[in-house]
Amino acid sequence: MSFIHKSDKLTCMRLRTFIALVTCRMIRRILHLFGRGGTNLPGTVALRIDKNLLKTLAEGVTAIAVTGTNGKTTTSHMIEQILIDAGYDVFTNRAGANLISGITATYVENATLGGRPIKSAAVIECDEAAFGAVSEAISPKVIVATNVFRDQLDRYGEVTHTLGKIRAGIANSPKATLCINADDSLITTLADNAEAEVVYYGVNVPIYKKRVHEISDAPYCVRCHGIYRYDYVTFGHLGGFYCPNCGYKRHEPDVFVTETVAMGSENTDVRMVIAGREYPVRINLPGGYNIYNACAAAAAGTAFGVEAETIVHALGHFTGGFGRMEKFTVDGTEMRMILIKNPTACNQVLNFLSNIEEPVAFSIVLNDRDADSTDISWIWDVDFEQIAKMGDHLKALYLSGTRAEEMAMRLKYADVPVGKMKIIKDDVKLIEACAESSYPVYLMPTYTAMIDLRRMLTKRYGLKAFWH
Amino acid sequence: MKLNICHLYPDLLNLYGDQGNIICMKKRLEWRHIDVTVTLCGAGDPLNAGDYDLFFIGGGQDFEQEVLLDDLKGAKAQAVKSAIEDGKTMLAICGGYQMLGHYYKTWDGKQMDYLGALDLYTEGHPERMIGNYVYTFADDPSVKVVGFENHSGKTYLGSGVSPMGTMLKGYGNNGEDGTEGARYKNVFATYSHGALLPKNPKVCDLILKTALEYKYGHAELSPLDDAAETAAHDAMLGRLL
Repeated sequence: MSFIHKSDKLTCMRLRTFIALVTCRMIRRILHLFGRGGTNLPGTVALRIDKNLLKTLAEGVTAIAVTGTNGKTTTSHMIEQILIDAGYDVFTNRAGANLISGITATYVENATLGGRPIKSAAVIECDEAAFGAVSEAISPKVIVATNVFRDQLDRYGEVTHTLGKIRAGIANSPKATLCINADDSLITTLADNAEAEVVYYGVNVPIYKKRVHEISDAPYCVRCHGIYRYDYVTFGHLGGFYCPNCGYKRHEPDVFVTETVAMGSENTDVRMVIAGREYPVRINLPGGYNIYNACAAAAAGTAFGVEAETIVHALGHFTGGFGRMEKFTVDGTEMRMILIKNPTACNQVLNFLSNIEEPVAFSIVLNDRDADSTDISWIWDVDFEQIAKMGDHLKALYLSGTRAEEMAMRLKYADVPVGKMKIIKDDVKLIEACAESSYPVYLMPTYTAMIDLRRMLTKRYGLKAFWH
Repeated sequence: MKLNICHLYPDLLNLYGDQGNIICMKKRLEWRHIDVTVTLCGAGDPLNAGDYDLFFIGGGQDFEQEVLLDDLKGAKAQAVKSAIEDGKTMLAICGGYQMLGHYYKTWDGKQMDYLGALDLYTEGHPERMIGNYVYTFADDPSVKVVGFENHSGKTYLGSGVSPMGTMLKGYGNNGEDGTEGARYKNVFATYSHGALLPKNPKVCDLILKTALEYKYGHAELSPLDDAAETAAHDAMLGRLL
């Protein structure tokens, strides 16, 4: 009797999983049919039908989870390439699908209707607030925590609150190897309660010759409230910190950069120590902040058991993510799209752009929808004054988005000549104006602005055809 | 003419683009050829209040508030209180605003004593009051102040202070009595960050004028081209009302 009973229960469970799986796929197909991707609906409905769906599907998949404020998408792309080059069959989620619903939908797409995984490995970028539940469901082999910066204060609250969310996620996967940024005084406290191995990564030298002025998000010791001192700062609150009061200090990293050799507009050359040996590494993306992403990816690769030579090779040829320095051409004008989303990330973009020594045009598209941050006060914490200092290099500045007027005002107070600025609220007209530029154009949209622009570019200019 | 601005606790209270208020005051003085200095006075730094004409204090995080309360136990608290009583001009935002009151009581009953410079107190609430909002400026009812509020504390004003404005849309001090912010002598205190002053240039100019008049007896501010400021202000106002 008891045997039959158990079997019934099992069938019932499988049926539930099956219905959830099929429903998720159907809703997704229907939404795609109407040209509406990227919503949370399929995963949300599937989890409503079977709340253990993600956990069930994650069995048999070895995952690397990437969380933290900045660098999640690019780091995930790098790790994906590392695993591909190491011969793994790997799937990954898109940046817009980093909540539990989107991650569930990603696992559904990569499973058979019987709920078995099609691919053996996954690289999953995960929103900090969603990390607790996701970590519990997918039990990653490796967790990467990149950094904690001020971001969407209307949604996440304070940085220490975000840190607490990540900590809870780590506690839910106690066996995972933890890869953390040694240069972030907040992030390294995650090692306190770690039960498994911890791999530290960091940058041992300053990155920029000239840096933007920026506020530290963590000037006071997280342990004793003393004031940190720094041997050097790379950017934000990252660098060689120590607290003279209580002795809390940067942990010696296991994977680290010893020298930045060349920082070009296409890529960055560094010397990086992986598994005790130093390698010349070309990172196939410009921007100093991508040095950290490369270190994070290398740390994750070693934690996964990939050879250092394979990691170095992968970093040299991976391609950037959605809106992360994506390069394309419209009517002969070269454009690059760089997502801006919080003060630190935006300051790092400006660190890169203000060092460009050729004539350029910029376009900033500032939206304040829920996925952007309804509070746009962060634009006052960004050192846009650097843009004014570019002088004649900067030929034009096109502003758009739901808060274009406020952006124009911010730039006015940053001493950018009002005559150089133009507000064009229509996406089509904005791109037309940019395309008339005889200079390269750097488009800086916030998240929802990027989604809208990309959709328009794809539709109107068949973007995929000449997307790099 | 010259104004010496003191930015109190820029290291601790700088959460919500408060830097924008400093940039705004500085620029609007410079554009009128009025000299301006901005001095940062952080935790551990001594404060000689007599050196300054205008004080600014912004919003912060709970974590950093503890560092702040330690620092305020010393002579600095008295210096700030005396400056306020003497009629010095001050702009306090969000956490800095709460800090000027008697105390903050968390929703689970823990009480933290604050400066007591203004007759008001704050009680924590489990739900945050977040969003763009607008209120009528008490000093000039023709001015509608737009900003962004993000606080879990509900502030209640005592009889010794008056509100800085009347709510038109949003929560304000506590979401109950329709008041927003506080005015006492030459103190302007509000929950509005975002940043407050750039897109409310009339509020900025009134604060600057107050500080200049205190120092020089009389001051006139020449008009500026506020087209960009007005556009930013009106865009938000149009959305809210």
